[in-house]
Amino acid sequence: MTGDHRPASGTPVRRKEDARLLTGRGRYVSDLALPRMRHVAFVRSPLAHGRITGIDTDGALAVDGVTAVFTGEHPALASVALRALSALPGYVETDQPPLARDKVRFAGEAVAAVVADDRYLAEDGAEAVVVDYEPLTPTVCAWDAGITDPVHDEAPDNLLLSRTFTAGDVDDALAGAHVVVDRDLTTNRHGGNPIECRAGVARYEAADRRLTFWSGTQVPHLVRTQLAELLDLPEGNIRVIAPDVGGGFGVKAVLYPEDVALCLMAMATPGIPLKWVEDRVEHLLAATHARDHRYVLRAGFAADGELLAVRADVWCNVGAYSVYPWTAGIEPLMAGGLLTGPYKLAHYACTVRGVTTNTSPSGPYRGVARPATVFAMEALLDSGARALDMDPIALRRRNLILPADVPYRMPSRLVDDSGAYEACLDRAVAMFDLAGWRAEQGRRRKVGGRPLGIGVGIYNELTGLGRAASAGPRMPFRTGHDACTVRINPDGAVTVFSGVTSQGQGLETTMAQVVADALGVDYDAVDVRIGDTDSSLWGFGAFSSRQAVIGGGAAHLAGADVRAKALALAGALCEVDVSDLDLRAGQVHVRGQEKPVIALAEVAEVAYLRSDRLPEGFEPGLESTKFYDPIRGAFAAGVQIAALEFDPATGEIGILDWVCVEDAGRIVHPVIVAGQVAGSIAQGIGGAMYEHLVYDEDGNLSTGTLLDYLMPTAGEIPELRIGHVCTEGANPTHVRGVGEGGTLAPNAVVAGALLDALGVEVDDLPVTPARVWELVSP
Amino acid sequence: MKIVLTVNGERHRVEVEPRRTLADALREDLGLTGTHLGCEHGVCGACTVIVDGLPARACLMFAVQADGAAVETVEGLAAEDGTLHPLQEAFSRCHGLQCGACTPGMLMTAAHLLDTEPAPDRARIRAEMAGNICRCTGYVGIVDAVEEAAAGRGDP
Ligand code: FES
Ligand code: FES
Repeated sequence: MTGDHRPASGTPVRRKEDARLLTGRGRYVSDLALPRMRHVAFVRSPLAHGRITGIDTDGALAVDGVTAVFTGEHPALASVALRALSALPGYVETDQPPLARDKVRFAGEAVAAVVADDRYLAEDGAEAVVVDYEPLTPTVCAWDAGITDPVHDEAPDNLLLSRTFTAGDVDDALAGAHVVVDRDLTTNRHGGNPIECRAGVARYEAADRRLTFWSGTQVPHLVRTQLAELLDLPEGNIRVIAPDVGGGFGVKAVLYPEDVALCLMAMATPGIPLKWVEDRVEHLLAATHARDHRYVLRAGFAADGELLAVRADVWCNVGAYSVYPWTAGIEPLMAGGLLTGPYKLAHYACTVRGVTTNTSPSGPYRGVARPATVFAMEALLDSGARALDMDPIALRRRNLILPADVPYRMPSRLVDDSGAYEACLDRAVAMFDLAGWRAEQGRRRKVGGRPLGIGVGIYNELTGLGRAASAGPRMPFRTGHDACTVRINPDGAVTVFSGVTSQGQGLETTMAQVVADALGVDYDAVDVRIGDTDSSLWGFGAFSSRQAVIGGGAAHLAGADVRAKALALAGALCEVDVSDLDLRAGQVHVRGQEKPVIALAEVAEVAYLRSDRLPEGFEPGLESTKFYDPIRGAFAAGVQIAALEFDPATGEIGILDWVCVEDAGRIVHPVIVAGQVAGSIAQGIGGAMYEHLVYDEDGNLSTGTLLDYLMPTAGEIPELRIGHVCTEGANPTHVRGVGEGGTLAPNAVVAGALLDALGVEVDDLPVTPARVWELVSP
Repeated sequence: MKIVLTVNGERHRVEVEPRRTLADALREDLGLTGTHLGCEHGVCGACTVIVDGLPARACLMFAVQADGAAVETVEGLAAEDGTLHPLQEAFSRCHGLQCGACTPGMLMTAAHLLDTEPAPDRARIRAEMAGNICRCTGYVGIVDAVEEAAAGRGDP
């Protein structure tokens, strides 16, 4: 060993997760088998809205192998409700029962649960449960519905919240505008659809009142806190374990009624682990949906292109329940707070509404609301460019928040610390070869060929939110910090207990890189444990692209602190001034000297096993736990630009080139970062062109399988070209979050390309061949 | 019913109901949970295994249909000494996996492709892999990995 420490950060080290995931040795909740385990199947409502007049469970109990049937009225469940709380003025609080009580509010809501020896028998039992309903009139659309039967009695108008954001004087500014444009847009309901559906195993031991809940959740610590309250158990008696999780994307950042029902049923059958693994049909019906919005917009521009004012009326369909614990405010408040995106704007009036309907609840989904708001904002700019006869990219440049403007207070009062939009745009335009594509566009216009359009989307991603930057509903908890424990074991190797969670983002790897560098050991010497509330102190979990910033910050601080402790002990052991010492690759050196004075392993041995050698004043052990909160957030700039061609005869759409440039700050693992960007663009393209959860007017989901709900494959997603700019974030590892940004632009890019190619404005997503054909057909 | 499955070269006698899927027999009865389920209706490809040399959706096949067949699953890809298959190496190097849920199906589909067509180009790889959904990677890393393994650069 040379003693040189090569930094792990910034290099594509091999992912810690890969060896097990590539060989079929992953540890997913769906894989878990425990002694005496039984299986649960839910009976789901076929009706969107109706009163439950009777449930007959006798037939189910007669099925061989069925051991229990639970309904909402069962004493184990009857008094429990999930109630998403918010201090937002005017917010209407409503209850969501673990299993429906009295009435059902969406098709797919769980009404009863059958416990049996295996999944097949549980499903047999579920089929034998007979539920009688008295139908009520359903509401499906959030903006053009007369209400016969409100979804919740507490909200006769189905409005769970509304909020108005204002800055400046919009009327005045619009009156003075050179051009005014109007748009009325809707975005398509779709969802996360991780390849592993939801899954849980709950086991309760009555003797010591302990509950263990294995759950494919993104937020194990939050789940623990919430379960403690809902189940009336001391929080320390609950252990939530999220082992390997097969994708999340926000859908698994929710505590679901099925989760709570599973735990309550487990408490009613002590010693018997209960397992529920959702199938895809249930997932499409009853896991949270997102992005079912309408934007009625007006914008005014000055003659030179300056954006003067934006007025917006926004409706978000929040579905049948206020999603727990995030509340029905999650999408509307994000929409109003970030609508104006990377553009400077003084005059803004935006009213957002969260409207409950008889559809599956809306929840967090990668990019929360902003794929829709970026579409809305970029549509206004594209319409403005046409009205002004200006180049759409030039119009955007005219209005971008620039480095000289930051920190920039957005009209919603969020503070943008990025200003890297123009740098991203310059780089994207260069990578994309804009001039080349414009020439090809002109050539096709002259000599024929499929019309070609160029679309662009510019966005800011609010990542790593600290306590002061919360854009969300005023919930009884305020996210901002995560904790990390770094422990040097007696043999000198390092175990990290981090509060972050991973659903594919490779956080074991990223945390190991950060700790290895902060501490001064090799990447291979660091092992990372995540997703178990019994081993890591605290983490709010995976959402808002927060973990590299916040969990990484905590890992760095804890690593640096252990390093200081190890060096102090080494200094005392070797009788060298600690300020002369350095720790590299697991060896302690006197600065500037090649030969180490002591190995970290020997220091650790003394710390744990050799109290006889422990110098005066030193505590045994080598460990540190640190929290980190960035206080504000780290805005991340991004630009996507693409060339698409359209066949006016068939509506067929071809993607010819797609470029994305993002500012991820300093990059810890370049390949993981590129993978996050690519994966999120693919989901964005799915939402822009394919994915649509469609309800009929009776509230039946008509896209209930993957034959109807289309997710893009390698055949649809083009080669993606990804570039970076780097403006360092103000946090210990200088990163900015990634993972959501990619989803934000594709709606705008595809719609913009269609306008550029064929001169038609698309108001309703997704942009499918049928929609294109409709728009261009005479 | 009693059936015999040869999985990754090992013979197993299993007692299954006629309605039990091959996927459940592998996962629940044999404990081979490497084969994943993403939809249970034949669309996502996560459950892809090789049955008598051909890729099959283990969620759409009854275990009894595989009676007497040779089944290959992801657990059989690496060598006995743990050396990874070139595709596994390439998936790791090219970041062809994130959460790993689609990965077993991707690997088995790709393994069959490379067994039958040693040198597919990117368009061919995309076409052949288009029966498998990955929700994480955006496919770039997957196509890179298959291409790299095909080019023989996946060897350690
Ligand atoms: S699980 Fe078999 S194809 Fe999806
Ligand atoms: S790696 Fe997560 S679905 Fe493909």
